[in-house]
Amino acid sequence: MIEFDAGIAREAFRVDACFTAPAAATTALFGASGAGKSTLLALLAGALLPDRGRIVIDGEVVTDAERGVHVPLERRGIGWVFQDGRLFPHLDVDGNLGYGLARVPRTAPNRFARERVIEVLGLGALLGRWPRDLSGGERQRVAIGRALLAQPRLLLLDEPLAALDAPRRLEILGFLERARREFPLPMVYVTHSLAEVLRIADHLVLLERGQVVGAGAPADLAGRLDTPLLAGRADAGALLQARVAAHDRDGAATQLDLGGATLLTPPLDAAIGAPVRAYVLASEVMLATEEPRGLSVRNVLPATVLRLGTRADSTVMVELDCAGQRLLAAVSRGAVTDLRLEPGSAVYALVKSVSIDAPAGGRLSLEP
Amino acid sequence: MLSEAELTALTASLVVGARAVAIGLPLAVATAWVLARGRFPGRTLLDALVHAPLVLPPVVVGYVLLLTFGVQGPIGRWLEAAFGTRLVFTSAGASLAAGVMAFPIMVRAVRLSLEAIDPGLELAARSLGARPLDRFFSITLPLAAPGVIAAAIVGFAACLGEFGAVITFAASVPGETQTLPLAIYGALQTPGGEAAALRLALLSLAIALGALLLADWLGRRARRWSARA
Repeated sequence: MIEFDAGIAREAFRVDACFTAPAAATTALFGASGAGKSTLLALLAGALLPDRGRIVIDGEVVTDAERGVHVPLERRGIGWVFQDGRLFPHLDVDGNLGYGLARVPRTAPNRFARERVIEVLGLGALLGRWPRDLSGGERQRVAIGRALLAQPRLLLLDEPLAALDAPRRLEILGFLERARREFPLPMVYVTHSLAEVLRIADHLVLLERGQVVGAGAPADLAGRLDTPLLAGRADAGALLQARVAAHDRDGAATQLDLGGATLLTPPLDAAIGAPVRAYVLASEVMLATEEPRGLSVRNVLPATVLRLGTRADSTVMVELDCAGQRLLAAVSRGAVTDLRLEPGSAVYALVKSVSIDAPAGGRLSLEP
Repeated sequence: MLSEAELTALTASLVVGARAVAIGLPLAVATAWVLARGRFPGRTLLDALVHAPLVLPPVVVGYVLLLTFGVQGPIGRWLEAAFGTRLVFTSAGASLAAGVMAFPIMVRAVRLSLEAIDPGLELAARSLGARPLDRFFSITLPLAAPGVIAAAIVGFAACLGEFGAVITFAASVPGETQTLPLAIYGALQTPGGEAAALRLALLSLAIALGALLLADWLGRRARRWSARA
């Protein structure tokens, strides 16, 4: 568990934040560029000294500005994966992986075995190769492996996917998810991509202008209108926790149980009962005050309006309660007036498409 | 092809140059590192001091060395009292004079390659548990290798060519301090020595060209593995 409460002010930036990150979970630090994410990470790592406050990792005070405590980065037990990989160009992959491992104090337990890390991250075929011969995705995999082999008690990931193209991102995300399952250690993941947060985070900390503006479970934060950082985005939407309820006999669709309501998706390669995260973009949800008929849209879910919020682009974001879960719909102001939408209104939510993260890996963008 | 005297001059040159680089290079690396990374008062002064031999007349450098390392100089007197060594008029003294003259060239070459290293790599090494000295030898120095190799070779070539500082501080003692340029000068002062001077000049040219080609080849080899990924 990480307890962070520290601030630093420089001419170019000012960060003052307080948050906790649970043990053996992935905490995403989310914010626009310039929100102070990387500064926060550097403070956590010990590469920067805060002006005030303290940082506690697993009960050990690693930074305490008031009492002059500062455990230097090299003795902090932190793995750091950088945006640009930063592999050592004069060492081959094997040498890069071994760099941190060779410097682990003899007294420290080796929690992450070399063979296991190589296997989980698929590095076996790369060992004899040189960093300059690796693709961007391969470099990041080696960088993650190198950081894990230093036997850290906390892994920091600084926008590890930002320098990659979209297909590589998915690939590395898949490897990260595997690593997360195989090697239980707290991770702090810095990103400005909502998709990455929804895919990988157990805990979310929202940053704006160097300050924490919200923290909690991604599903709670994503669907809430009082987190303008999320609700104002073009890709705003709601994260639904669902389970695979049934596969249609003809294999044409999978039914997801939302805890009362049922959501249909194209067939998923997942076992009955498997948990999945379903992400529904606000722009993919239409509202009707009567149960519509004769539609091609197959997901029509009864819901209740909780709140309405006007966005900068003058569309209205409607927060809905659907079988106990939050759903967001983006509608025009005229529609709100015509349908007389207000908190408490009973409506039908027409869900046009859903994005699913199945535990098996592949992220699908689906049009049911 | 070469007379005994000419061979002696060649050997003296190689010994003087090799010794100067062997002792001067580690100092040049340390100085370059301090200048590239250090932030301390007096850094500009140190920088100017290191570069002084480049802009001073070599005779002046030789004279300053004579004043400090000479028999009457403070360091010279101490060396004599403590170890019984004299630098003036010895091969070691010639190395000192040549080394001081080549020092700024070596520092420059190393410093350029140190400054080209991505500081992010050293931060990564820190996060992997490497302490400062460890970091220097495992990351910084290998990555600066092209510059260090270039410094050694160009420094060696500069030592071979040094004239003014060497003759002022160490004089021209055949077999000790008479390096190639000094032998050429000596030959030119001798009636009928033009042929010997020409042979020595061609020899100098061959060594200098060889050194530059070697530096280029080694530099390209080293850059291949230390190129930024």
